[in-house]
Amino acid sequence: MEVRNIAPLRLHLLFAGLGITFLLIFSWVLFHEEAAEWRTTQARFRQLEGDVKNPHQLAEAASVGGLRQVWLPDLGRIDRCETCHLGIDDPAFAGAPAPFATHPGTWLATHPTGRFGCTPCHDGQGQATDYAAAAHRPQPFVTRPMRPLETIEANCGTCHRALDPTDAPRLAEGRRLIAESGCFGCHEIPGFEGMTFRGPALDSVGYKVRPAWLASWLKDPKSYLAQSKMGNFRLSPDEIGSLQGFLLSQRMQVPLDSTGVDWKNADTANGRALFGELRCVSCHAVNGRGGTMGPELTNIGDKVRRDWLFSYLKDPHRVQADTPMLQYRLNDAQWRDLTAFLLEQYSSADTGAEPPPVTYQDARLLAAGRAVFERRGCSSCHRLAAIKETGRIGPSLAGIADRDPDELPYGGSTVRHTTDNYIFLKVLLPDTLGQPSGMPTFGFSPADAARITLALASIRKSDLPASYVVGRPALVPYRPGGKFGELVMRYRCLSCHTVGGFGGDLSTVPLDRIGSQLQRDYLANYLLNPGAVRVSVEARMPVFHLSPDEAKTIADYVSMVFLDDRFDRYDTKFTSAEARRGQELYGQLGCQACHQLGTKGGYVGPELSTTGARLKPGWIAAWLSTPQTYKPGTLQPDYGLSGADARALTAYLTSLGRSDAAKARGGKTP
Amino acid sequence: MTNDRVPPSGLPDPVRRSLFALGGLGLGAATVGFLAATFRFLVPNVLYEPSRRFAVGPASDFPPGSGTFLPDRRLYVFNSADGFYAISSVCTHLGCNVKHIGRGFECPCHGSQFDENGQVVHGPAPKALAWYALSLSPRAQLVVDLDQPVSPEFRLRA
Amino acid sequence: MSQTIWTRTLTWFDGVRRSVCRVGWPATDKDRAAAMISSLFLHIHPARVSRHVLKPTYTFALGLISAILFVVLSVTGLALMFYYVPYPAEAYRSMKDLQFVVTFGIVLRNIHRWSAHAMVGVVFLHMCRVFWTGSYKRPREFNWVVGVLLLLLTLGLSFTGYLLPWDQLAFWAITVGTNIAAYAPVVGDQVKFLLLGGHVIGATTLLRFYVLHCVMLPLAMLLLISLHVWRVRKDGLSGAENHASPTEELAGVFPASTKTYGLMAISKRPQASVEARDPNDEVFAWPHLLYRELLIALAVIVVLHVVSLVFMAPLEEMADPTRTPNPAKAPWYFLGLQELVSYSALVGGVVVPTLLALALLILPYLDRGTSGSGRWFAPERRIANTIFTAVAAAFVGLIVIGTFFRGPNWAWVWPWK
Repeated sequence: MEVRNIAPLRLHLLFAGLGITFLLIFSWVLFHEEAAEWRTTQARFRQLEGDVKNPHQLAEAASVGGLRQVWLPDLGRIDRCETCHLGIDDPAFAGAPAPFATHPGTWLATHPTGRFGCTPCHDGQGQATDYAAAAHRPQPFVTRPMRPLETIEANCGTCHRALDPTDAPRLAEGRRLIAESGCFGCHEIPGFEGMTFRGPALDSVGYKVRPAWLASWLKDPKSYLAQSKMGNFRLSPDEIGSLQGFLLSQRMQVPLDSTGVDWKNADTANGRALFGELRCVSCHAVNGRGGTMGPELTNIGDKVRRDWLFSYLKDPHRVQADTPMLQYRLNDAQWRDLTAFLLEQYSSADTGAEPPPVTYQDARLLAAGRAVFERRGCSSCHRLAAIKETGRIGPSLAGIADRDPDELPYGGSTVRHTTDNYIFLKVLLPDTLGQPSGMPTFGFSPADAARITLALASIRKSDLPASYVVGRPALVPYRPGGKFGELVMRYRCLSCHTVGGFGGDLSTVPLDRIGSQLQRDYLANYLLNPGAVRVSVEARMPVFHLSPDEAKTIADYVSMVFLDDRFDRYDTKFTSAEARRGQELYGQLGCQACHQLGTKGGYVGPELSTTGARLKPGWIAAWLSTPQTYKPGTLQPDYGLSGADARALTAYLTSLGRSDAAKARGGKTP
Repeated sequence: MTNDRVPPSGLPDPVRRSLFALGGLGLGAATVGFLAATFRFLVPNVLYEPSRRFAVGPASDFPPGSGTFLPDRRLYVFNSADGFYAISSVCTHLGCNVKHIGRGFECPCHGSQFDENGQVVHGPAPKALAWYALSLSPRAQLVVDLDQPVSPEFRLRA
Repeated sequence: MSQTIWTRTLTWFDGVRRSVCRVGWPATDKDRAAAMISSLFLHIHPARVSRHVLKPTYTFALGLISAILFVVLSVTGLALMFYYVPYPAEAYRSMKDLQFVVTFGIVLRNIHRWSAHAMVGVVFLHMCRVFWTGSYKRPREFNWVVGVLLLLLTLGLSFTGYLLPWDQLAFWAITVGTNIAAYAPVVGDQVKFLLLGGHVIGATTLLRFYVLHCVMLPLAMLLLISLHVWRVRKDGLSGAENHASPTEELAGVFPASTKTYGLMAISKRPQASVEARDPNDEVFAWPHLLYRELLIALAVIVVLHVVSLVFMAPLEEMADPTRTPNPAKAPWYFLGLQELVSYSALVGGVVVPTLLALALLILPYLDRGTSGSGRWFAPERRIANTIFTAVAAAFVGLIVIGTFFRGPNWAWVWPWK
């Protein structure tokens, strides 16, 4: 059976055509693989190596070829950046053209790619092998494209959790701003859990403030107090009116005890003297000068009522339980004088006499005020017994950096929709994004808002392996108990001193081992009469007017608890030969250039003529041997003293002022 | 049975035949190409394994005269008078880590003994301990390359 | 001397060759027949075919194309299995690896995806062709049923494969799809629970879908394809019957041919006999049919390559159960159902699919007449054709609406805006 043709000619043409087409396509696929972008880049690199002088680099560079990958299963990262960035870890390529240039700075020395890869710091799609897909610029479906360098410290913060990480100044500034501004009052913020920001409790605010002041405060807190942490809630006049009424009717709590005070005989001159003696400006600035721990007092007369101020100064913790203000021990007449002085001295010119307290009867007004109070979440920062606490009013900021940018309400804003942009706008101008916002306007500068955004952008959703986390965000509070604890709370020692790093830094003296540094009796007397240890230092401990019993309690406790065994084991049996040698050394080392003996000597360090009564020998010897370990940055030089020399100096210094001190004080030591 | 040598029926026209041949060539090449491509596809380009070439630390971590055992790398790194060298601690018998005893090595599992160069002195081990190339990275770190075995004459002068 | 050695060497090679391929390149008719019959891979073809079946407009080779696509999918799928990891985050990572570091990874993945979509479409067209030529009628009813089962298997394979990339597109498409399935009464929730391996789409779901996609469904498919093609072989192509040759008129004069090409040696039951055909109408399968099949295969492969090199298969961000894209759409072949579900869950999710499936399955047992079989749009089948075309067009229309005309919140959008 013969058949002429298998098929008509056109089918053969089709066959040939398809065969050739397929061959072409296949060749193209092969070519496409070989001409991958990274291969071209590596070829360029190999041409570059001819310019590299160091033969070591030549040998290294010549071995380049193929894909390079850093695989970090702990972090879930696969980074192939080094496929093109071939010189990144090689100092020889410092001036090479991109992408071969060495990584700037010393970052790779502390963060080697073998342990950190690239994307934990820079973001981007690490698995990619070409420029576009690596998300050097924003790419569709890549949730975290590469970070612009000016915001890169946000990624430092995902591992470095301390409030003040080294080498990340913008991040540290942002975190500091958050800590100072008290954002954690309304928002739960990871890393700031230990902090509780509280504005003052408002239970007696009806006694406390003048109505006119309250209205202007509610309108704009910063008009009264520039350092105020409270933002501008953008309240309408109606809201201000009803809230003012509601608050002023809060006169619960303890009654003020200013009855029977003879105001007519108030001695404002005495009040001024007391103001200096109590050193109020250590914490409260007036006219722009002074400390910032407490509010400025420049116009305090505009704000508070006389009876309230008297009661508050007399016993602050009774009137306002969690205030950081300490309680001095004065009598009523003294408090009267001080109150009168403050109100007269620190008021603006147009403040009139104090109006009598008003009782608001309008139930509707009160209800409206209460509604405003609850709606705007005032109890996130201000406790009020009349309102049940409902927790923080703002949304939690946990994982905020990983929020889906497309789900954030941008409203009419035309900025590019990224999470960073949203946070920035929200912090800077809370009321301009989308729906009406309850967040007050804090009046941050754009630079500050940018820093805060950086700090918040470091708060990620996922958990890091513990080996990558550095630094603890918040300190463990120190809260002693017993009688000693009561005294610490009353006099607020930790507002100025630290124990275990917790506390205030107004004083440069941490109290951790003060019992091994100071002699007990000296300490007890010092508490009653804080004097100048250094002539040249202005700030000093205020006079608290402690009772002798209180001074005893503190001195005893401190001498038993705040100890360091390294200093207490020192052999204190000195020979006179050692003391003589010490005196020689004192002259030879030139100690009098900075220290005084009697009236002679320099003013940089403390005077030493009473050292024998003041300091303990173990501490003296340790300090003289290696001062920098105990106080980094101190001006005391490290002379590299031998143990014998340090001992000699200690012997000499310990002999100074023993008997003098006892005589000078007279009386009984508590 | 002999082949009839009759040309495939239905292609009397040389044009058809050549077209057929062309198509057949394309097809054949494509098939071969397909097999080659499949093979190439199956060759991995990246490995999810610990790198075979890694830094063990700065040279200062290995003071002169020292012999340091790196347990997670299974290596001994020596710094002798004439330079650095690295010897594998994997016993060539069945893979236990050998101990550095005196100047040589001993395997605790079956008693193989090696001299200071890793040569077998005694025991069931069939061959000497492996030596690996050492080099210095641009950042002055000692780098071991497990893919580059070297002879016991190797020293890195750094 | 050398001649003898040369001849002997050649003979030896020839002997080796013959032990492997018993039939050499066919040069005689006997060889051509033997090439089909005695080959494992080729014996699904008859030795000779009617020359009319060689026309492309006959069946448009849709069944063959479906089978070719199945082979392509199996081969590319097998290759991809060397790199793909069926565990949630790893699946996405391995997809990215295929995209960036595996040689030919992109092309292979694209071919796999586009041929999967093509197969769903081609299988549907094949079904339409079979209906419009009435080729489901007696004695071919059961083969139609097998075909419907194959259609369902194809959809199942596509659906199970859709989840594997583990990106947002995959995750939410399968969420929608399994939720539609859950609307089935009585068993719906159980079915969803079994499919998901739990209550949420997670690691167990991915593993189940992977096993279904790579092992169970392909095996079932292979089995049913074999049965389907076997039936075609036994029953013959319906169109061949209609090319009556002059000799049929002489049926009474000459006895009808009862030759069968059965592969079993002896069978008591009479086999389906090959209808009386004019031997002049027949050609050998080798090379005529095989050549055309080769061309079709080549064409399919070339088209797939071109499409795969031009259009990238999508890969969005990694699946995130906490973030639903708006709108979340099922795979395109289920969008018609999703559109219906948006009106009524019961109707769209349960009633319509069940009715459609049942209708398809029992169709050949409803339509018992045998006329009009083997011809395109036979006039006697006008009603049946109209109904079928209307339903098919409506279904396609719903899919088009669901794809192009539905936006966020399933609101109506004009795609050109």
